[in-house]
Amino acid sequence: MISCTEFIMAYSELFSFIEERHGKEELIRFWEELADEFLFNLRDLVAEKGFQGMQEYWGHTLSEEGADCRTVLTDDEFRLEMNECPSVAILRRNSHLVPYPDYCEHCKVLYRRVIEPFGFKCETTVLDPVMGRCVLRMTKGGKG
Amino acid sequence: MHAEPKHKETGGYSANIESHMANVHKDFHGCFSFGLKFLLDNYGPEEMEEYLRRLARTVYAPLIESVRTRGLQALEDHWRHIMSLEDVDFEIHFTDDGTLVLDVKKCPAISHMRARGYEVCARFCEATRIVNDEICRRAGYVSEVEYDQENACCTQRFRKEADR
Repeated sequence: MISCTEFIMAYSELFSFIEERHGKEELIRFWEELADEFLFNLRDLVAEKGFQGMQEYWGHTLSEEGADCRTVLTDDEFRLEMNECPSVAILRRNSHLVPYPDYCEHCKVLYRRVIEPFGFKCETTVLDPVMGRCVLRMTKGGKG
Repeated sequence: MHAEPKHKETGGYSANIESHMANVHKDFHGCFSFGLKFLLDNYGPEEMEEYLRRLARTVYAPLIESVRTRGLQALEDHWRHIMSLEDVDFEIHFTDDGTLVLDVKKCPAISHMRARGYEVCARFCEATRIVNDEICRRAGYVSEVEYDQENACCTQRFRKEADR
């Protein structure tokens, strides 16, 4: 068994493996299928509760991951300000690995694909990919 | 357990709450299983195995080195640490002939995926066999895994290569 505490390293290796052997388009297809078929818990929460559902989803997952972050929920937006992404920190600490160079990119693909069909706009701004600082901002007015 | 991120601000509310199980996010098992299924469905079992062997060589490079220098004690320490983090019902012991035996009575990965409704890759338990095999081969040891994916249990054995 690969422990869930070792998963991030395996995940990064999977990104590198797919891109090196099958190309970037296939890697993006993997992320899209992951969004469509695996992130149903996020999809269900957003469909049912909108911004509040986003707060519940990230509140739960990021607490389990031990994230150093701040979330802001108002009537007009949900914003996640990540001071140090726990996944990026794991990759940085494990210097024996060569992390997938665009590791942060998968969040952009996954969350936009899940959230925007419900009428929200999803913007991800990576401020520092090495330290794992980013802002994920959801506002009203997407594809929905 | 359900806690909040360390810094939470909701409207006018702000709080700092520490997580008690940082970095133990069991949904990752489902994500890993999804990745295996993607490789299996799109490129076949050989490609899934290739990925797992690469993962064993890279992610577990420090463990391979530790087993080379410290022997099976390093593997026992590794498994005790992992099983403790994952809160697993397990037994681990050395037999009289020096074989390290790990009995996983209820796999936390499969149990969690089933509880949450995530699909378990048809060859999920093969990942354990393949990764163990690659780690052990690189360190001069051999491994065997008897698994029952349906009942979420397995027995893993590790011994020195020459002793086989």
